Amino acid sequence: MSQTRQYELVYIVSPDASEQTIADLHTQVEQIVQRFNGTLDKTENWGRRKLAYEIAHAREGTYVVETISGSGEMMKEIDRRVRVTDTIIRHLIVRVDEELRVAERQRSERKATQARRRTARGLPPEPTPSERRGDRDDNDSDDLSIEATEVQR
Amino acid sequence: MNGERGGGRGRGKKDDKDKGKGERPRGGGGFFRRRRVCKFCADKIDYINYKDVRLLSPFIPERGKIQPRRISGTCARHQRKLKTAITRARQLALIPYVTD
Repeated sequence: MSQTRQYELVYIVSPDASEQTIADLHTQVEQIVQRFNGTLDKTENWGRRKLAYEIAHAREGTYVVETISGSGEMMKEIDRRVRVTDTIIRHLIVRVDEELRVAERQRSERKATQARRRTARGLPPEPTPSERRGDRDDNDSDDLSIEATEVQR
Repeated sequence: MNGERGGGRGRGKKDDKDKGKGERPRGGGGFFRRRRVCKFCADKIDYINYKDVRLLSPFIPERGKIQPRRISGTCARHQRKLKTAITRARQLALIPYVTD
């Protein structure tokens, strides 16, 4: 009895491969998923990206991210197929359902705590837009941590 | 007797040191107070996505190593998740293993 789990498959296609090869690879994965009665939830093509280091003498590659739901056996088969494909220079399979569930639980727990504390203080459980402090700027906090690094040295 | 005195002195010294540690920076001593806030707790990020290089990059100094907790102030739980995310990102060549 195999359970349905969600996985993320990321693969890097060699820069020499044509658009057609990339499309073929995608259909190959799709076929395996169909054969094992899984579902392909999402496909993202990041396009050509520079690699942080050389893989198989390539300095850049095309990244494709596929979110797949299905059994472990299915992923085993996909892994095997991806491994033997020469045009794929690197791949990674990660099971994500558990992690996302944990994150979701933490989010709801935090919300519940907030609501409890707020009702204890006689406030409505949800913060109203007017009392929300300005959302932090992402760039700003990045700068801060970089500053901290430099000072440390 | 002598031994006891020696021990007593030793203890006294240690106490002083502990006090020094607990104290906040004394003027001009070279070390300053750092804001010890976990970025992920503050920003309420539950899932550290390994594909998000922009999120991970502040925790990777030039050398490419993972920044220790004592410097970044990340909490234990998030540092652990950060480590997994960085390792995955490295495998996918999104982040270098080493940079010289």
